[in-house]
Order: sequence, then structure tokens, then C-alpha cells
Amino acid sequence: MTTRAAFLDDIRREMAKTRGLFEASTSPRPAAPQEAAEAVRREMLERWPQALERFREEFERVAGVFHRAPSLEAVPALIGEIARERQAKRILSWSPEALGVDLGARLGGEGFVVTSAPDADPPESERARHREEAAAAEIGVTGADWALGETGTLILVSGRGRPRSTSLLPATHVAVFGAPQLLESLEQVGLMLEALHADPSATMSGAVINFITGPSRTADIELTLTRGVHGPKDVHAVFVEGR
Amino acid sequence: MSETSPGAPFAARARGALKDAYLQEALGIATTKFIGLRRESFEDFPQGDALRDRARAIKEATLQQLDRHLERLADNIERLGGRVHWAATGEEARDIILRLCRDKGVRMAVKSKSMATEEIELNEALEHAGVKPVETDLGEYIIQLAHEKPSHIIAPAIHKTKGQVADLFSQELGGHFEADPEVLTKVARVELRQKFLEADMGITGANFAVAETGTVVLVTNEGNGRMVTSLPRIHVAVMGMEKVIPSMTDLMVFLAILARSATGQKLSSYTTLVRGPRQPGEMEGPEEFHLILMDNGRTRQIAGTLREALYCLRCGACLNVCPVYRQIGGHAYGHTYPGPIGILLTAMLKGAPSVKELAHASSLCGACKDVCPVRIDIPRMLVELRERLDTEKIAPWTERLLFGMARRIMMRPSWFRRGASVARLAQKPFVRHGRLRALPLFFGKWTATRDLPAVAEKTFSERWRELRRP
Repeated sequence: MTTRAAFLDDIRREMAKTRGLFEASTSPRPAAPQEAAEAVRREMLERWPQALERFREEFERVAGVFHRAPSLEAVPALIGEIARERQAKRILSWSPEALGVDLGARLGGEGFVVTSAPDADPPESERARHREEAAAAEIGVTGADWALGETGTLILVSGRGRPRSTSLLPATHVAVFGAPQLLESLEQVGLMLEALHADPSATMSGAVINFITGPSRTADIELTLTRGVHGPKDVHAVFVEGR
Repeated sequence: MSETSPGAPFAARARGALKDAYLQEALGIATTKFIGLRRESFEDFPQGDALRDRARAIKEATLQQLDRHLERLADNIERLGGRVHWAATGEEARDIILRLCRDKGVRMAVKSKSMATEEIELNEALEHAGVKPVETDLGEYIIQLAHEKPSHIIAPAIHKTKGQVADLFSQELGGHFEADPEVLTKVARVELRQKFLEADMGITGANFAVAETGTVVLVTNEGNGRMVTSLPRIHVAVMGMEKVIPSMTDLMVFLAILARSATGQKLSSYTTLVRGPRQPGEMEGPEEFHLILMDNGRTRQIAGTLREALYCLRCGACLNVCPVYRQIGGHAYGHTYPGPIGILLTAMLKGAPSVKELAHASSLCGACKDVCPVRIDIPRMLVELRERLDTEKIAPWTERLLFGMARRIMMRPSWFRRGASVARLAQKPFVRHGRLRALPLFFGKWTATRDLPAVAEKTFSERWRELRRP
């Protein structure tokens, strides 16, 4: 078996032989990522309405369905409506804390079966059960850590109370976000990710970050665009006013 | 089907592809569509050109400190609880995975699309070891059921009709399915959903790996990359070592141009950033994460003639615009990586002699270089490869003799002039309407597919001398 040292020695030996390479540099990184991210947040306090408009436009271009809710209070009813339209009964959601609203408390009484991820560290026995529920759910409700205007992309960080599969296994995914989540460019996303990784303990517990740009799609059979091949067929974004 | 046996000479495989009417139509439609989508997406993206320059510079800068970036990547992944394996060869990479399967009692592995695992022919090895590999990208799944090889880097099954897919599914999965992409996609969804939930191991490639954060990045449209990294208890990522990039800031530059180059999307449906195994507090995710860093011929090229090919993002844009690929498709190339970049990658992985025919399967028109998101100078490297085939005596002796003679003649004006008069005489029996349509001996290879203009009654220099005479 090749060891790390041997593998890297091979590379170094070849690197020493190179001649006449052109001068090239990687991207300059922010010296103080937290402050740079804070500066972007301050800028976006002014500019989020334009970013939201762009997000809506791009999100709809990739077949997303955009909604506005006047407040967090109105979100459960809106989700109930989306579910009824699809004749869906089983709703899977991020934990009330991660989502900002307790869907179970509001929709449980209306004939829906709502499963929310726990906020605490899940015991082993819980995992198998959650997986079964996730596989059977028809609607998955998540928050979004960022919503990117340039491309109509929802960015979700996994972690405690935020399982990865909520936005993946159900045929319909609904993401709830507000003005503080809006960004306008990939460059800004880069800054946010630099800041997130500079101090992961503060904001991040999970191992996965997903950029979601519209529904799951394929064109592998005769280039015919088909939605919902493995992931959701429908993706909804709910913008909550005044958050 | 264009399935001339893969062992056949390139010319025979290419002829087979040219005679395949369906393949010809499918290739024309697919490549033209991809070209249009790419062009449109860059048209309303004025910063695209500058980003391509940045991306190229990042790749070069990373290569110049490759050892450091790989160390950083490995340290970060291990800090997060993942394991890093170093594979000098494809065989070693396969052995690492097989050993993991054996040690962990793996019976089924779900895979998301990965050229790196195609490169090491992992599926055959897994099957041989009693592990069932299941391809989950729809195109790859079709190809696997049909026991074929992918014919395009990002659209592996473009050579198949929906009718063929329907027959294949009906036969392999039991049932009778309509030849409708919507129906067939649904069939695959149900079939593969079960596999995702049952599999012990998920195997992926990596589009990028971010050294500073220990993140492996997967770009997919179907979401299978997410399934494979979320549901099975073990995740193994196989990656050519040149895929490492320094930072998240760099990653954004690549994301901005990758999907645009491949499919004309601003971003693919899913970009998944994975850091090690499931972290404390997470409900889902693998217990184990393994990254296999693979050399397999790449290190040799750090100081070699194919260095620039190490920038490649595997977007497939150069395939679509290549006049040769557009005619013959991926299978005729006979190796894992088709198209113009594929010739270079094959030479990198298997040595120059393996492409002694393919090195000539290019008109050197430069379309590939124009569309490459990191501006890889493919034509230059193809010419250098041809030169090597000549100097290392890999090219056929007839070719070397003929061109050696031509070279000598062209370097001496007196010989060249004399050559013209000899040719004028020798060509007499073969000239029809000022063109040579059929020549004897090995010269006939040229005229089999094209005409050669006859040597003129008077050459330019002869006429020049006459005109200058007062």
C-alpha cells in the first residue's frame, strides 16, 4: 500500500522538475471572514428587496414555486394548503427551533401527520424510525440558511434538528426563509462559507451543505427534461415578510 | 448499434459508428443542443470570460503547490473523523475499496456518477468480489443494465432511444413499460429508491475537494449524489488528486462556470458539500467517510507535456463541439474518457502508445480550446503527442518514412522544385479534372476519403520567374 509520505514524495519529485510555469495565484481570501460576512449582511439590509426579486425570477425559471407569507404565523396554513393541493397527508419537518415554527402543533389537528426532527441529539433507536418516516413523507419542510438571487438557489446547512433528507426524500420540498437570508452573488456565498468554516462551532454542526437550484431533474433519456428523478419533483420557496 | 468490438482498430470502430444511422442522428441532436445551451448561458453572463481566466489561474496555482494542498485536505478530513487513502495506481484504489467492503460486510453499493470509478473499472471488480454495484444516475443505470459503457461524460446514454430503454427496463426489471421518458424515469425512481435505502455503502467521485475546509464537492442534477452520501452507513469518495482546490472562495469561481459549460444551467440542481462522516447531533449521514486520493499516472504529467490536462473539470463541453466526436460518438474512442480531452487523459493514464491512432482523431480546429472553461490548449498537446509518437518511434514506419522524406524535400528549395516536376510526371495517370481521386499504395489512404488537388502545370515560383522577366 502506498503511504501518504511516498505519495507526496512522488509529487514533490515531479514538481521539482517543472520549468517555465506561468505565474498564477489562487483567489484572495478575506483576512477577517467574520467581519467581511458582517459587512455583506449590513449591505444586504438595504439591498434585499432587489435580491428577492431576482431570486423569485431565477427560482421560477428553474421551475420553483414562489410564495410570500405575511408572517411566520401564516406559514403553517400555507403549508397545509400546499399539502392539500397534492392530497398529501404526511409532512416531515425540521425541528420547530430550526424552522422557527411548530408545524405539528398547528397542522396536527387538521388531519395531517406531522413529524418534526428532534432538537436534541438523536438516540440510536430514533434514527431508523426517522428514516422510515422520511421515506414515507410526501412533503418536506425546511428552513434555508441563504437564498441566492443570482441563480435562484436555496442553501441549506445540515445539523442538529436539520436532517439532510427532509429536502430530498419527499416528492415536494418547501423551504421557508426571510430577508436576512438573501444574498445576491456567488461571491457573497463564498464569503459566508469562509466565515462559517472559520468558526464552525458557532453556526454549524452538520457535515453537509446543499445548494438546491430547482427540482431534481434529468435529461438522460433522449434529452427529454423530466423532473423528480430521485429528489423532489416540486420545490416551493416561502418568503416570510418582516423577519 | 455501433458496438464494433472495443478491441478493433480505431478506424474500424469509427466506421461502425459512421454507419449507425440512429447514433448519427442522436449525436447530432444532442451535441447541437448542448452547444446552444452553453452559448446562451454565457451570452448573458459578461463576467464569464474573466471567471474562466481566474479558474485557469487557480488550477495552475494549485498545481504549483499540489503537495501542500493535498496535505491540508487530508489533515482536515482526518480532523473531522474521515479517513484518507493514498492510491498510486487504479489497482490500488480498487483494492482499498474491496478491502473496505470485505471488512465491513458490504453486500450492495450504490454509486453516483463518477468518471474516476469508470477509470478504474470498479464495477467489474466489485461484482467479481460478490458486491453488487448499483449505478444510480439514470443514464449510468441504463448503461449498466445494458452492460455497455458511457458514451458521453455528462450524458452517458445519449446513444440510446426511449424505445430501447423501455425494452431494456421491461426485460431487466420485469413488466411492460411504455416508451415515454416520464414513465421510464418514474420506474427508475421507484426501483432505485429501494436500493438507496438498502445499500451498505455509497460510492461517489468528487468534482472538487476544498483543502482549507476538508470538503468534498459533488455536482448532480438528479439528487442521487445526495442520496448516496446521506443514506448508506459508509461513504467512499474516489478522486483524482488534481481535483483539490484551495478555498471556498475558489470553489465559487468554478461553480459559476461549471454547469454553464456542461448543460447551460446557472448551477446544477444540486451542489453538495460534504465534510467527513455524520457529525454529532446529526440524524442522518454515514458513520464512516473515506476519501481515496488517486494518482494513476497523473503525477508523471506534473512536469510532463500533458500538464494542462490536469486542469480538466470533466464538463464535456469539448466533446460537443469536436467535429470528430460529433461524427463518431464516445464508444469509438475505445477508452473511458472520450473526445478531445479524452485522448489526452487516456495518454496520461495509459501512456502515449495507447493513443497512437487517437492522437490523429482531431482536425486541430481549436473549437475545444475555445469552449473549455479553463482554456486547456488541447490542440497544442495533441500536436506534441503526435511529435512524441514520431520521435519515440511509436507511429507506423511507413508514416515516419514518408513524412521524413517530405520534410527533407521541403527544407531544400532545389529538391522541392525538382520534386514538383517529378510529381507532375508521376501524377499523370491519376489526374481527373485537376484532382487526384484515387492513388495506389498507402497514398490511397488519403484519397479514400478526400481528393487531393493535382500539382499545377506551373508552380507559383515558376510563374513568378516568368512574370518578372521583362
